Amino acid sequence: MKRELGIYLTLGVAAVVGAWVLFVGLPQWYAEPTGEEGAAPTGMTADGEFVEATLFYISDDGMQLVGFERRLKREPSLAEQARRVVEAQLAEPPPPLLSPIPRGTRLNGLYLTDRGEAFVDLSEEVTLAHSGGSLEELFTVYAVVNAVTTNLPTISAVQILVNGTEVDTLVGHVDLQNPLAGNMRLVADPDAEPALEGDTVPLATTPTTTS
Amino acid sequence: MVVLPQPGPPGTHAGKVDPYAMIGPTVHVRIPAQHTKHMFNRRLRLAVYGLLLLAVPSLGQTPDQALTLVTAEGRSQLQTVTLDGRRMVALERLTGPFGLTIGGELGNSSLTLSRGDQVIVLTANEGLVSVDGQLVSLPSSPIEQNGTWYVPVDFIGRALPLVSDEPLELRRRSGLVVMGDIRVPQVVARYRRTGRQGRLGFMVTPAIEPTVERQDDRLVITFDADALDLAPTNVSPDPLVVGLAADQNRPVVTVELGAEFGSYASVVEPALGNAIELVIDLEPTAPAPPPPAPTRTTELRPTPPPPVTPPAPQPPLAGVPAPPAGAPAPAATAGDPDLPALSELAAPRTIRAIAIDPGHGGADTGTRGPGGALEKDVTLEVARRLRNAIESQLGLRVVLTRTSDTTVALDERAAIANNNRADLFISLHVNASVRETATGAEVFYLSLAEYDEAARDLSALAAEPIPVVGGGSRVLDIVPWEMAQLRYVGESARWATTVADELSLRLPMSPRGLQQAPFRVLVGANMPAVLVELGFISNPDQEAQLTSPTFQTAIVNGLLRSIIRYRDEAARGFVTPTPLTPGAPGAAAPTGRIQ
Repeated sequence: MKRELGIYLTLGVAAVVGAWVLFVGLPQWYAEPTGEEGAAPTGMTADGEFVEATLFYISDDGMQLVGFERRLKREPSLAEQARRVVEAQLAEPPPPLLSPIPRGTRLNGLYLTDRGEAFVDLSEEVTLAHSGGSLEELFTVYAVVNAVTTNLPTISAVQILVNGTEVDTLVGHVDLQNPLAGNMRLVADPDAEPALEGDTVPLATTPTTTS
Repeated sequence: MVVLPQPGPPGTHAGKVDPYAMIGPTVHVRIPAQHTKHMFNRRLRLAVYGLLLLAVPSLGQTPDQALTLVTAEGRSQLQTVTLDGRRMVALERLTGPFGLTIGGELGNSSLTLSRGDQVIVLTANEGLVSVDGQLVSLPSSPIEQNGTWYVPVDFIGRALPLVSDEPLELRRRSGLVVMGDIRVPQVVARYRRTGRQGRLGFMVTPAIEPTVERQDDRLVITFDADALDLAPTNVSPDPLVVGLAADQNRPVVTVELGAEFGSYASVVEPALGNAIELVIDLEPTAPAPPPPAPTRTTELRPTPPPPVTPPAPQPPLAGVPAPPAGAPAPAATAGDPDLPALSELAAPRTIRAIAIDPGHGGADTGTRGPGGALEKDVTLEVARRLRNAIESQLGLRVVLTRTSDTTVALDERAAIANNNRADLFISLHVNASVRETATGAEVFYLSLAEYDEAARDLSALAAEPIPVVGGGSRVLDIVPWEMAQLRYVGESARWATTVADELSLRLPMSPRGLQQAPFRVLVGANMPAVLVELGFISNPDQEAQLTSPTFQTAIVNGLLRSIIRYRDEAARGFVTPTPLTPGAPGAAAPTGRIQ
C-alpha cells in the first residue's frame, strides 16, 4: 500500500514539475526579450550592437522623400532608441543626400506616452532656418514622423514641439496641433504608382551608409 | 392744263408737286387764256401755298436725332434732318470733321467736293455720286435746298471712306460714325424671363470682356472700349429688370433693376465670330434667410438635421486618391455605422461668396525667390486680381483674409471666412524647394488620416438635445471649430480636382498636382476649402513667372473657371463625376501653357 502511495506521489510530483516546465519554464527560457530590455524593435533589423533604420531625405527632383537604410547604434530602451533615430534623421547626411531638416536643428528632448505617441522637441532652428515652402515643410515634418513611426512601430504618432512648446505649424502650413501618423504618400517608390493615403510603401534600400 | 417746262425744276412730275422741290427753284407755270377765270382761283391758291412755303423754308424738313461721331479725340454730334422721309445730313456739317472742301456748283445742279486731290461730284436728283472717278450708289438723291446741299447719311458710310485716310464706318443702327483705329464693339442685348429668374445676354463683337458691377438698384456693365454700338433693345419692365440703357458718353450699359431683384451672377463665354457673350443670371430675392453662420468655437444647427443626401456611393473622382482598402472610411463616424459620414452632413449649397486667403503677410514673408520676390507679395497680388475678376465677372461676394501686408494668424483666416459665410475657401501660397529644379503648381485639400480620432470624438458630440424657451427641446449638432472642415472633405476633394484640372490647362503643374495634406489653414474652414501652391519661387524661371501679370492672369483665369464649374455642378447636384482632361493633376506634365 505504502509502495503504491509512493508511486502515485512520485507521478504527481513529476506531473506538476512537467506541467510547470511545459507552461512556465519553457516560455520563460525561450521568450523574446522585450524592447524595453534592449532588443531591436520590430521595424528595425538587429545586428549585434547595431540596427538598420530607414531615414528620409529629399529626392533628386526635389518633389519627394526617399528612404535610405542606415546603421544606428542599438539602444537599451524604446525611448533611447527613438532618440537615436531622430538624432540620426536630424544629422547632416553625407553627399549627395540632401536633408529635409533645416540646418542646425537639434533634438531638445523626446517623450513617450502610454498611448503610443512620441513628443519630439526640436530647437527653434527648425523654423528659423526653414525655406518656408509648404512642400519643404511637409518634408521636414514627415521625415521626423516617418523616421520614428516606420522604425519603431509601437509608436503610432508623433507630435513635434519647438523649444518645448506646442506650435500650430513650423512655417505656416502643416498642422502640428495633433500627433501625426506616418505619411508614406510623400515617399518615392520607384517600383509602384504614386502611393495612396494610408498605404505602406516599400522603401528604397540602397545605398546604405553608416553613421 | 399744267405744262411743265423741260427740263423742269426738281420735284415736279406728271402734275404732282413735290413740296420739298418747290422750296428751292422757281416753278414756272403757263396758263392758257381760256382758263383764266378758272385758273385765277387756282393761281391764287398756288400763290398762297408758295408764299407759305417760302415764308417757312424749313417746312417739310424735320430735325432728326444727331449722329455721333466717335474718334480717338472724342465725340461730336452730326445733326441730321429728315427730308422726304429720308435721313439726310447737310454737307456743310461734314466738311470740318472729314476735311472736305466744297467746290463750285457745276451745270445741271451738280456740286464738287474735294479732299486733298480727291474729288467727289454730286448731282441733285441723281442717286449716283462720283468719288474720285468711281461711281457710288446712294439710297436717295442729294438735295439742294436754299443753297444748302443735303446728302443721305449713307453718303458717310459709302462715299467718304473712299477718300478718308482713316478707317471710317457708319453704324446706322446705333447712329455712330466711327473714325480712326478705335474700339467700338457691337453689343446686342437680349432678355429672357424664366419663372422667377431672368437672364440677360449681351453678344459683344469683337470680343471685349466687360466688367459687371452693382450700384444700388442698377447693374453697370463697363466695356474696355472707346464707345459702344448698342443695338436698341426693348425690354418689357418686369419685377427684375425695369430697363436697359447705354451711356451716351461712356462705354457703359446700365441695367435698371426691379423691386424683386435679389442677386446676380455673370459669366463670359466665347461665341462664334470673334465674339463673346456676357450672360447675367438674375435671381429674385430669396424667400428664406440663409443658414446661420458658424461661430469660431462651435457650430449650431437647428433640428431637424438637414436632409442628408443619400450616402451616395459617390463615383470615385478621377484623379482623386481613393482611400485604400481597409483604411478608415473618409470622415466616417467610426462608432455607429448608421450615422452618416461627416462629409455627408454638409448641406447642398449655392455659391454666393468666396473667401480668398493670400498666404503669409506682414512679418511672415513666406518663402523668398532667388531674385528677392516674396511669397506674401505674390499671393496678395494674385488674390486682388482674383477678387476683381470674381466680383466683376461672376457677381459673387468676395472676402479677403487680408487686404494689405499684415500678419494674420492661420486660425483667424478660417474664422474670417466662416464669419463672412463664404461658400468656398481658397488659400493661395507659393512653394519652395532646396532643389532648384522643382517646378509646378499643386492643389491641396485636407487629409483625413491625421484627424481620425477627432472625427470619432466628433460623432460622440453630435446631436445633443437641449431645452429651448417655451418648452420642448431641440437637437443641436455641435461641431468643434477645429473640426469644421471634416464635414466638407468630400466636397473639398471634388473642388480641388476641379481647380487642379483648370489650372493644368493654363499653368505648369507639379508631377503631383493634386494632393492631400494636414494644412492648418484648412482645418477650421466651414466650407469646401483648398490650398493652391501657385508654383516654386525657388526656381528662377518660376519666380519670374509668378511675378508677371501674364502668369498671374492665367492663374486667375484658371481659378475663376474652376469656381464657375464647381458652382454649376453644385447647382446640378453633382450628378456626375468631375471629368478630368488630359494633362490633369497627377498626369500633368511639368510644362504647360499660359493663357
